[in-house]
This record gives sequence, structure tokens and C-alpha cells, in this order.
Amino acid sequence: MAVRSGPCMLAVAFVAAAWVSVGSSVPEQAGSSQKAVNCMPCSRTYIADTYLDALTGQLAEHRDLTEVSDTADLCKGLTDDLDLPTVSEVHRQLVGEGSHRRLVYSVKFGNCKDAMEKFLDGYDANLVIIEKLPSGVFADPFELQHFVERKVFLDVAVFGDTNLELPSALSNQSAVEIHFDLKASKSMDCNLVVELPLHARYPPLDTSGYATVEFRSPDLLVRYRKKETHPGSCIWVLQNLDAAPLEKAVWRVPCGDEVHVGFVSSLTFVSALLCSMSIVLAASLIS
Amino acid sequence: MAASAALRVALVAYGEWQDAHLEVRYTDVDYLVFSDAAASVAAGGSPFARATYRYSPLLAFLLLPNSLLHPAWGKLIFSAADLLVGLFIDTILRLRGVPEKTRIWSVVAWLFNPFTFTIGTRGNCEPIVCAAVLWVLICLMKGRVLQAAFWYGLIVHFRIYPIIYAVPFVIVLGKNYAGPAGRPILTQWSSKQQLQSDKTSENVEEPTSLLASLWIFLSSLITRNTILFGLFSGSMFFAWTGVFFYLYGWDFLNEALLYHLTRTDPRHNFSIYFYHIYLHHQQGFSSIQKLASFLPQLIVQLALILRFSRDLPFCLFLQTVAFVAFNKVMTAQYFVWFFCLLPLILPWTRMKLRWKGLVCMLVWMGSQLHWLMWAYLLEFKGRNVFVQLWVAGLVFLAANTFVMIMVIRHHKYTQLFSVSAKSGSKVAAKKE
Repeated sequence: MAVRSGPCMLAVAFVAAAWVSVGSSVPEQAGSSQKAVNCMPCSRTYIADTYLDALTGQLAEHRDLTEVSDTADLCKGLTDDLDLPTVSEVHRQLVGEGSHRRLVYSVKFGNCKDAMEKFLDGYDANLVIIEKLPSGVFADPFELQHFVERKVFLDVAVFGDTNLELPSALSNQSAVEIHFDLKASKSMDCNLVVELPLHARYPPLDTSGYATVEFRSPDLLVRYRKKETHPGSCIWVLQNLDAAPLEKAVWRVPCGDEVHVGFVSSLTFVSALLCSMSIVLAASLIS
Repeated sequence: MAASAALRVALVAYGEWQDAHLEVRYTDVDYLVFSDAAASVAAGGSPFARATYRYSPLLAFLLLPNSLLHPAWGKLIFSAADLLVGLFIDTILRLRGVPEKTRIWSVVAWLFNPFTFTIGTRGNCEPIVCAAVLWVLICLMKGRVLQAAFWYGLIVHFRIYPIIYAVPFVIVLGKNYAGPAGRPILTQWSSKQQLQSDKTSENVEEPTSLLASLWIFLSSLITRNTILFGLFSGSMFFAWTGVFFYLYGWDFLNEALLYHLTRTDPRHNFSIYFYHIYLHHQQGFSSIQKLASFLPQLIVQLALILRFSRDLPFCLFLQTVAFVAFNKVMTAQYFVWFFCLLPLILPWTRMKLRWKGLVCMLVWMGSQLHWLMWAYLLEFKGRNVFVQLWVAGLVFLAANTFVMIMVIRHHKYTQLFSVSAKSGSKVAAKKE
């Protein structure tokens, strides 16, 4: 069944973007009070799988982390007295032309020299990007896996409808979760650039000739844990990066026009028949 | 031969370099799919764990060394198969008595065809299918019916399209297949006059009424050889299919078999049907539409089989070109299917390279480039050129039809096997 983005989906986006501040959050110390944290055991690799409906394997529309697990207690004592590097700039841009494009995220951390280095001395930390893709585009999990093999990403996963071939009308939404090692940011002056290759599906028919695919705001988080941890008590702390709303990313995908149905189908059949007849004629006429 | 082998090794090595250093990969996307599937098998899983793996598990088994030895293993296998095709072309033409000089030119038409050597070195599995099809042909020419049936059953399991050769195979295996010694007698390549005398004798045999001729035709098909071939190749096909169904269940049947039989692709491809399919993908197809898209294919296949099946290589070539041209999905890798048969008919064509041959090549390639230009604008520039692309597809079909008609008109029809001894017209026949 087709899942179209409507007002309902937009509402979900807001819920999703704000999930860390609901229920399990613990107020941060003064200075970075606008931020909220959440925690999960290290045995869990991904965050976006909470969006998945356990029964259908599709992305659920109304679901966030707090519904699935009660994580408030996990965070106790983990976030005290920590000087986390702050984000100074976040951009997201759709780059390229045609059916294969890239979403390019650039995340710049402030006080790079001191805070970041000190932080990374004591903690393993990743930047986590969760992009909920509209149904008109998809990410190829196998292509992304090769990025992991080439150490471009630390890890990546695609949730929801990962069929790579179906047109939008016959496919559902998916979400991509990328993990990027913050250690790599030191050499980049704390300016991380992450590229996510995406591909357009064939959109439903429309008389305007182009379908518009609009991306919602992604979830950007920093995930960290102490370097020396005991396997039993290993906890990831998740910190939402409440950056200013990102600029819109819009993708115009050419689509078929219903007006063409009549003449395209009939001319296709007529020309196939004509060509087949002329071959039959040529075959029977040779001496 | 050595030069073309060196060229292929160099291209495989170059491919490794380009993949490592440039953004645009040399390696075919499908090759990554095969490799992933083979890696999945190596890890004890199913090859169908890799989405879009739509081939027989045999291919994944064949590529196991990709994950164990070196990722380029498969490319070397495919390129070796590609060279084997060259060798088989030479063998077939030698069996048919083609002089060496003509043979060499025909083999060159395969080995140095830019389509074919890039396809093998980029990691496409089609050369294996081509080699197997030619080997089946060689077995039939040498009278090894059981071996032919073994490979034919296997290759239809591996890649379904050679199923279209079943009827012509059975027709040539009919009554006149074996000569007095129990082995088939091959018509030897020769000059024009002799061939014409062959043809007149053929006309004399024409029966009087249509029903009678149909009866004679059908009864000639039931012989020990046809039954052996049919039963053995059929059981080969079902045995392999059964084994893999047992191992991998419906995943295998859906992906490797049923997918290809029912495949319709709304995304752009060379087929004239792609836009029609895209325009209807939301509401589905009526049975009349399904019939209408199947009928031209059926008519052409039947006509070609009835008219040309006794000139077996020529029939297989035309059938394959037509099958690809009228198929609901057409990609460039399918062209290899008939490129491997083209050298087998070149010695019998009256078409000169200058200028008719050249015109055919230019028309075919020009219409393809024209299509590629619109496809580029759609896929890489995001321009809405669906109608233009569809028209380019129609033009390409017209070009295919034109080339086929030219080839048919200039071909010296020569039966692969001499008509049996009693017809008394084996002027051109020589026992091998």
C-alpha cells in the first residue's frame, strides 16, 4: 500500500525530533541546559530501530524511544560534570542532479582544540544521524555497507522498506542511521562532513511532470560512553544536538503523465505488431 | 587469441585500479551483488539474503573464491568463459568446413567486440551462458545428444532465456538428424551454386495438403533422439531446481525463476514497453494488455522457428535478437546473448561490410546512442523526457527490425545437417 506524506506524517516528524526530551530525559547542568540526554545499554547497536513496527517491519508512524524502553534510570550519574563539546553550526544540503544525489551534512563543533580533545581522551564518541526518508527516495543498504568497509562511516543501517526497485506508489518509507566516529573530527578541525548517497524511486503519475520529494529534519545526536567500561554496565549516553532548524531539502523527480496513457499504450502495441509482421513477411518472402 | 586474452587480463587489472581510485566504478553493480551473495553462502547463509540476487545459487557457489581468494576471481572466470566462446565459435565453423581465413575473422568479431570484452571484465556472468549454449550446439553437431541435453537442462536452470531454443533443437533432432552411420552429417560450407541445388531438391519434397504436411512434420519430431533429449534435459532442469528449492525454499523459486518469467520493470530500459508499464503500474494490467504485449513476441518466434530451424545457428541468432528486441525488459547485457551467435552466421551472409554491413552497424548503434542520450537526461539530469525516451525505444525496435530483415535477406540459407541419404541431393554433403 502506498504511504503518502501528509499532515499526519509531518506531525510524526515533530514527535520524532523531540523524542529525547520526553519522559526519560534528565535535565542537564546549567550552561547547556537546552540539551537533553537519553541512555541505552551498549548491547543495542542502533537507535532508529525503535521506529520499526515489530509486527510489520515497516516504519511505525507514532513511536519513539520512550514507548519502547524505560531508560530514565540508566542515565543516573553518567552525565554529571561533563563538558561536552557544543555544536556551532549544522547544515544539510542536497547535492547533485538527476536520480542519484547526496545529502551532505556538515556539523561544526565549537571549542574544538580544548574541549573536544579532552572529551575524546576519556570517551568514545560518535555522531549519529537519523534521516527518515520520504517514500520517494531510498538508500541502498549494500552501497552504504561498502562505505563502512572503506571506513567512511563507523556503522550504518537502513530500517523500513529497503526494496531497491519498486516505484514510490508501491513502496513504504525507510530511515537511515549513520554512525560517524568523532575521532575523525580532530583532523578536520572539528568540522564533520558526512555524505549520504540516495536514489529516487519512480514517483506516482502526475500531470505537472515532476513530483516533489521533501526531506524532514533529521535527528542529530552525539552518542558517547566511557572508554573503560565493564561489559555488564556499559551504557551509551545519547545527547540530542538541538541545532537551529535545518534548511529545507527538496528533490524534484520527473514523473509520468496520465495524459500519455492512451497514445503510449496503443502506439507501443501497434509498433510492436508492425515490426513483428515485417519480420514475418521478410522471413516468408526470401527465395 | 593470446592478444585478446592479454587484453582481458589487462582490463580486469585496470578495473581493480579504477575501482580503487575513481568515484565511477568499472565493475558492474551486478558483480557486487554476486559477490555479496557468494560471501553470504561462504558465511553459511543463503545467497538470496542479498536483495536483488536473482540468479541460480550455482553462480554464488562458483564465486565462492571471491570472498576466499580474491574479489577478481569471478571476473577471471567470466573472461575465461568469454575466451572459451571464441574457441567454440572456431570449433563450430571448422566442423562446418569454413576456411581458416573466414574463421579467424568471425572469431575476431566476437573476441574484439567492445561490447563483449568489457562485459566479461566488468564482471557480468553472461559469457558463461554463451559458452554453454555454444557447447550444446557443438554436442548436437557431433551427435552427442545426451551430453547436449545435460548442458541444455543445466543452462536453462542457470538462465532461463535459452528455453526459446527448445523447439528448434527438437526439430533438428527429428527424423533426419542421424545419417546412415548413426551420426549427423553436417552440410559443409561451400559456394553459392551448390547451395541452390540443395534448395531445389528441398522444394520437391513438399507434401500436397497442409494437414498432411503438418502430420508429417509432427510425426518426424517423435524419434528416439528427441525423446531422450527432452526427457534428459527436462529432468536436469527439474533436478537442479528441486535441489535448490529444497535448500533455499520459496526465496529461490521467487527470485531466480518466477521473477524472470513475470518480470515487468517500470524503470527506464531499452524495451518499448517500459513507459507503458510505468503508466499502468498503479492500477495493474488487463489480460488484453498482457496478451497484446506477448503476441508480437510469440508470432516472431514461431515464424522464425518454422522458417529457419533447420539452419540452426541462424535460427538461434534471429530468435535471440527478436526475443531481446520484443522483450518487456531489455538491458545492454542481453546483447551478448546474440553477439556470441553472430560469428556463426557471418560466413553465410552475402552482405558486404562495405556498405550494407556498415549501414546496419551504424543504424543499430546510432539508435542505441540516441536512446542513451535521452536516458542520460532523465537519469542524471532529472529532466522529464519520458516521451522522448519511449520514442527512442520505438526507434531502437525499428532499427533492430531493420537489421534483422537485412540479415535475413542476405543470408544463404544452409541446413546445418544434410537431408537424409534417401533424398539423393547431398551435393554439398560430406561426411565429417
